[in-house]
Parts: sequence; C-alpha cells; structure tokens
Amino acid sequence: MIDLYAITDDPTPPLPDVAGLSAVASHGLAIVCAPVASEGGELTPEVLWRHEEVVEALMEDRDLLPVRFGTRVEDETAAARALGERHRELARALDRVRGAVELSVRVMGDGPESPPPAEGASGAGYLRAKVRSAAAHEEVVRMVHDPLTANARASTQLGTTAPAELLRGAYLVERGRVNAFVDHVSRLQAAHPELRLLCTGPWPPYSFTES
Amino acid sequence: MTTTIAEQEVALIDLLDRLLAGGVVIAGDITLAAADVDLVYVSLRALISSVATAEEREILPRLGSAL
Amino acid sequence: MRDKFLHAPPDLDPFATERPRLDDALSRRVNADPERLERGLAQLVLTVVELLRQLMERQALRRIDGGGLSEEEVERLGRTFMELDKRMEQLRTEFGLDAEDLNLNLGPLGNLL
Repeated sequence: MIDLYAITDDPTPPLPDVAGLSAVASHGLAIVCAPVASEGGELTPEVLWRHEEVVEALMEDRDLLPVRFGTRVEDETAAARALGERHRELARALDRVRGAVELSVRVMGDGPESPPPAEGASGAGYLRAKVRSAAAHEEVVRMVHDPLTANARASTQLGTTAPAELLRGAYLVERGRVNAFVDHVSRLQAAHPELRLLCTGPWPPYSFTES
Repeated sequence: MTTTIAEQEVALIDLLDRLLAGGVVIAGDITLAAADVDLVYVSLRALISSVATAEEREILPRLGSAL
Repeated sequence: MRDKFLHAPPDLDPFATERPRLDDALSRRVNADPERLERGLAQLVLTVVELLRQLMERQALRRIDGGGLSEEEVERLGRTFMELDKRMEQLRTEFGLDAEDLNLNLGPLGNLL
C-alpha cells in the first residue's frame, strides 16, 4: 500500500530525500507517493505533522495540489489510474493555485462568550441572541473577510463550530504577496481592537483544490 | 525550538482543518471513515446534478434558498 | 510549528477552541463491533436531524428579521428551538457524540454543516 501526498505537474525539481518518495506520472501530471510507513499506527499529531512536512517540502520547489490525508492506494499502478481518471479536472485545479499558497485567518470577539440561554430564559431571548450572533458574524465578514479577499486571488470560509469564533477564513495568496497580506492583517487588527485576529501559514492550498 | 501548549493546539487546529477536511479527494482504498464519506459524496453528487438538470428542464420548480 | 504564526495576539488561548478529536478522525476502520456500528448510524441520523434543525432556525430568524411575527409567535418559536436544542444535546450525550461529530465531510462538497 502507498500513501498519496500531492499532485503536481512539474517533474524537474528532484523530490526531497524523504521516506521513499516517488512520483507516478499520468497524462502530464504526477502524483507523489510513498510506501505506507506503518500499518494501523496510532494517529497522533506527530504523524500528521510529518505528513505535512513532506507536502511543504515539496511545495518549496513546485506548485501542487495536496491530497487529503489518509488516502491510500494499492500500488503505483492504482495511483496512476486514479490520477488518469480526473486528470483534466486536476490540471485545471492546479492552474488555479499556481504560484500561490494558502493563509488562514481566524477572528475571535473580545470579551466573554455569550453564555447559552439559562434555564427558564425566554424563547424570544434565545432567538435574539442568535440574531445578534449572526449579525456579529456578518459584520466581521464585512470588516475583515471582504478586505482580505480583495488582497487574495481567492478566498473561502471554513465552517466553524466553535461558539465564540466570528470567522474562519482561508485565502489563496500569491507567494510573493504573503508579506503584504500579513501586513494587511496587522492593519485590520489595529483598526479593530475589539477583535482578535490570528493568521497562520503558509499552507499548501488544501482549501482550494475543488472548484 | 520549543512551543507552548497553546501554540501547538492552535497550529494543530489549523492543520486539521486542512489535512482532514481539505485537499484532493481521489479514489483510493482509504480507511472506513473516508470510505463512508466517499459513498455519501458520490451519491449526493449524482443527486445534486440530477436536481440541477431537472430544474433546468423545468421539471422541478427552482428550490427556495432555505440555506 | 511556531513559524506558522504570521500574526498572532499575545494570548492564544481563545483560539485553542476545541480539543482536536484525533482518536476518531481516521481510526474508524471496518469493524464488527456492534456498538461502533450503532454509534455510526446514530451519528448519521443525528446529523440529518441537526441539519434540519439549523435550516428551520435560519428560516425562523429570517421571518423575524422580516417582521410580521407577533411577539407571542416569536416567543413560542424561540421556546420550541430551545427545546429542540436541549433535546439534541441529550441525544448527543446518549450516543457519546459531540457537536463536531455531527458534521459530515462530503469530500469535494465540503462540510455539510
């Protein structure tokens, strides 16, 4: 069994000397894979970070589409076949992320989380709290997400289940414009002291692989 | 370079958002969780595209935007 | 790992919002354990219920925004949703699921909720 890491179309840079990496080509694309490290091991943060390090090492020298973690195929023939089945779509997706990386921005409000309605609280109060929270979210989209989107090639919001979180955004940013983007985040933070902004990255473009 | 617990957890959250929920989904012999999802995705895709076609051909009225 | 932080406030704790549930994430293997299968089914069913609950709540909020609902109607609607919310929490607890579990990942379609 082999693990799949990323899809690329640039064969020239040599693969990082890691964990038996090889590239399987099909229809002008290549999929980078390696034999499974260990069967049924415990899933720990270390395992995830090691996988991520491989993808990021690849990303240093080329543009790529990261494959979802945990994708395994029988062997290189199977990998080539999987690649071939969707090669046109994947080639288009690769073009969309060419020369760009992903940045994450999360926004929290200031002050205590709005507590859940207490026992015996009114139904109207419950709904009013929901309306307020939806409005707060929309305001943050307007104040933070929209300006950042204007500074990126593309953007998307990741669904968030965290109660006090006002925004969880992902932004596709040209490699050379990452610093300018981060400056913009800093300026937005300064302009909105009531919010807390967190920007992480650069990440491989996980959130921009599908149309 | 040592990192605080908070830094590790926060970075991990951002990583998981991507590693486990993003990236290319390619046909593969993936573990059950993802295989479950694969089935759901495949049949939903067929459903959604057939609904879209039905709307286009005016067989179905356009669905309201409950979402 | 630290160099992933491009801009961060001095206090990161608010952003450590959830304990990432790695034990479940990819370790659900084919497994004849009946308890796990039942839990998987409950998860699927409750996800659909949660989807409907959210849709209805959103519709209600839209109606309220648009006006045209009496105070009494708003109050009744609110109480119904509060009850639903509480009931969902009970069901989740019964099956050992948390909010994040009720979010189907649909591959290229993103998350359901």
